[in-house]
Amino acid sequence: MDVLDFPLSRLCYAAHSEDAIEAERAGLPAWLDRQLDARNASSPDLEGRLRSFRLQIKYAAGNGQPTPNGDTKNWPAVDEMRPFRYLEAPIDSAWALLDPKVARPNEEQSRPYQEVACATIIRAVHSRAQVFERMAGFWHDHFNVLATDDRRIGCALPMYDRDAIRAHALGNFRDMLEAVAASPAMLIYLSNASSRAGGDNENYARELLELHTLGRDAYLNDRYDRWRDVPGAAEGKPAGYIDEDVYEAARAFTGWTIENGQRLDGATELPRTGRFIYIDSWHDGYQKRILATEFAPFAPPMADGRKVLDLAAFHPATARFLCLKLCRCFVSDNPPQSLVESAAKVWLESARKPHQIAAVVKHIALSKEFAASRGSKPRSPLALAASFSRVTGIDLSPTWPLVQQLAQCGQRLFGWPSPDGRPTSAGYYVTPEYLRERWVLVARLAGNAWATGQPKAVQIHASGDAPRVGDAVERWLPRFAGPGAAAAPFFAALGMDPAQPLSDEKKLAQIAGLCAAAPQFQMT
Amino acid sequence: MRSSRRAFLEGALSGSALLTLSGAPLRQLAFAASPGAQNRILIVLHLRGACDGLNLVCPANDLNLITARPIELRVAESGDKAGHPLPAAATPHIDWRLHPAAPELAELYKSNALAFVHAAGIPEANRSHFVATDIMDRGAANSAALARIGDGWLGRHLAQSKLSGGGLQAVSASGSLAGEFAGFGSAFSVPDLNNGLPLPWDEKMAGAIEGLYRQAPGSAGAAGIRALEAAKLIAARLPRGAGGKFAPYFDQKERYDKAGDIGRGLRTVARLIKADIGLNAASVDAGGWDTHEGQQGRFHNNVQRLSGALGAFWNDISAYQARVTIVAYGEFGRRLRANKSGGTDHGRGGVMIAMGAGVAGGHILGPWPGLAEAALDERVDLAVKTDYRQVLSELLTFHGGEPLSANVFPGYKAPAHLGILA
Repeated sequence: MDVLDFPLSRLCYAAHSEDAIEAERAGLPAWLDRQLDARNASSPDLEGRLRSFRLQIKYAAGNGQPTPNGDTKNWPAVDEMRPFRYLEAPIDSAWALLDPKVARPNEEQSRPYQEVACATIIRAVHSRAQVFERMAGFWHDHFNVLATDDRRIGCALPMYDRDAIRAHALGNFRDMLEAVAASPAMLIYLSNASSRAGGDNENYARELLELHTLGRDAYLNDRYDRWRDVPGAAEGKPAGYIDEDVYEAARAFTGWTIENGQRLDGATELPRTGRFIYIDSWHDGYQKRILATEFAPFAPPMADGRKVLDLAAFHPATARFLCLKLCRCFVSDNPPQSLVESAAKVWLESARKPHQIAAVVKHIALSKEFAASRGSKPRSPLALAASFSRVTGIDLSPTWPLVQQLAQCGQRLFGWPSPDGRPTSAGYYVTPEYLRERWVLVARLAGNAWATGQPKAVQIHASGDAPRVGDAVERWLPRFAGPGAAAAPFFAALGMDPAQPLSDEKKLAQIAGLCAAAPQFQMT
Repeated sequence: MRSSRRAFLEGALSGSALLTLSGAPLRQLAFAASPGAQNRILIVLHLRGACDGLNLVCPANDLNLITARPIELRVAESGDKAGHPLPAAATPHIDWRLHPAAPELAELYKSNALAFVHAAGIPEANRSHFVATDIMDRGAANSAALARIGDGWLGRHLAQSKLSGGGLQAVSASGSLAGEFAGFGSAFSVPDLNNGLPLPWDEKMAGAIEGLYRQAPGSAGAAGIRALEAAKLIAARLPRGAGGKFAPYFDQKERYDKAGDIGRGLRTVARLIKADIGLNAASVDAGGWDTHEGQQGRFHNNVQRLSGALGAFWNDISAYQARVTIVAYGEFGRRLRANKSGGTDHGRGGVMIAMGAGVAGGHILGPWPGLAEAALDERVDLAVKTDYRQVLSELLTFHGGEPLSANVFPGYKAPAHLGILA
């Protein structure tokens, strides 16, 4: 099995050769079991890479100008290669960068976000727990936050990635939903942090129901406040949600906020830590009715919000919606209804089990519908970079220009502007504009234009003879363009004689980058 | 009606030139060289996240509004933050005020180049960003119709109009392809043109890749071929400076630069118009309007960028103004009542902006339902009194000529004219 081939290509960013061997020898189910065990998510090799990684930080000395909060922009110029500081740290340390009394350069304040972006690439390329990494990516898209444009969310991103997304990526959805609901990143992004009784804002509540759980197909917009008209409501099992549910759910989450210096009364000011806090005096404690379920007045702290999360997480519409999204991600842009339904059954059966998500992914990956879906999904730009690096022997280490080129290809890490999250469809990625940027991506990786790592000569040219153009094309064209790709017209267009010697390693790598522009390699 | 507007504009132009704040002439219409319809260009500007129409074009003296919102989320009638007065003949009792951060839009309104349509939106009550956006992108009436209508209204219009086509006929100037072009094979997305559309290869290598894409089945093959063609076209048409590099683009630079994404998008459109590559339609994103919290400052910035970018663009394409029509809208308006986060939640009726060629500017169009409780949708939101399809279909009859093909807005029959066309 080639690491570039289906099904590993579909389930991984870039399979390792050991994975291909293991999947071949032990079979896909056994390989999947190891992949779907979250305890394997890290490894000494990966930890070592994360520890030894350095990302440049560079800025000019402060100009001495005063800031609105009484400090002056006095800082020395910095140009250094700096290790990760925030990935494992509690949120307080990143949040301290936002202290309004202390003037700091933008480059320092955006560092937590940059660290997560680089760590995401390192893990996508080098982790052996490839399915875990793909699932972390899936959940970041599902529970999208925009970290690139808001420093507060950028500073909350390391904790979000670690404690909300990665901690539950293969675990239980209800657990994950609460970790997300109480995460500073989401509380800021969907503005629940400022929502309070008597004038709550509905941002989070609406997207919770529409995007995070029941899904837009369960939005019965024509019923507005007529909850008795929702099928199943009389039995306490409403088929969907209405605007009134959004309004009431918003009340349920009032008081879920973060410590950010708010003045609670004349005398008390909360510290600025960025940590979650529940403020009971901001909570709307009166009775509510959400999803045809009565909420008693004055429930214990956070009980209203938790009850909403229960109703939403265990709703059958949520099972269908999440399984539809998982099938869209892993099977096809328009997955067969049969698979969505059978996956939803597994979802509901394991709804209260700790490895619910792993069970559903396994069900999908071992289905006949999955097996028949070869060639139906685009490689994401990150998967393109990772798999190209794997087969050309680039020991990829991210630099900022690589992050920027992924954005040019349509994958701006943690930078999707709306809460629906980035699509994974061919209609989104395989467009004229993004294709051209993908060609640039592999060409620049091949040429090591961004100092991300040199392709290895041994990968490019295995034999000991003086390499020829023909060797390079014959090596790479079938791998990237499939076994059917004819080399002769390719040579003719290139205007090169296959026997022409190519002493220059760079030229060889360039041919690998060129072959990786093939249409077949864009899909998997 | 058309000739009377022309006479008016020519009159206006023969008098003192209309000046923008920066002193440059805002309108330089060249009617002598008025081009045929096949060269007309429609630009769709998306106010993504749902722009608060009541804070942009504000009935500032409406007591229902005053009691529902703090002054920060309204436009003042007096004082140093007073809005620009928008005289509107149809509603003389209302003191309409344009947000103070929009001097360029006020100027365009005054010079009859720009009109607003208030209380406009989708006909069904749907407060989901994503469903409402899909409904508008596809030219549908409601969410039920989305199962039947899979492609975009502007793509359908282009496919059936007598517009010239060829080259880059339809362009999204912000990231990925906009929904109103979905299904239209000639649509293309061009985020920016600072380096043209560079390929990482020499001509021979590009030829080798072209061979692979020509043989490839399905959409990937076609997309690759179009990518190569567009790169060639842009390389041939974009002006070059010394040394063969694309000349940096300085026109209106400072004003575009200040306007963020929308400035970048409109600059790209202006460059495409000037490169004369067959453009008939473009779309640009202006995001950030989902102001559930801290609306005052965010809205101010958004309006400033929107207005500044449109002013810069209109000056930038002064020689092409007779061909270019712009329409701007969000997926819905926002709730009448403010929340305690200093913001507004999802509502219904919003405001649409139409400007440029063909538009009878200087009016606030459409029936105004008012903000009295009985007139509100579900007692909370400004009602929708003008179907967004009416605005678009009238603009399309100018853009592509009459009659408008029935399948651009399937099942929709426009009532009596709004009067948006001059």
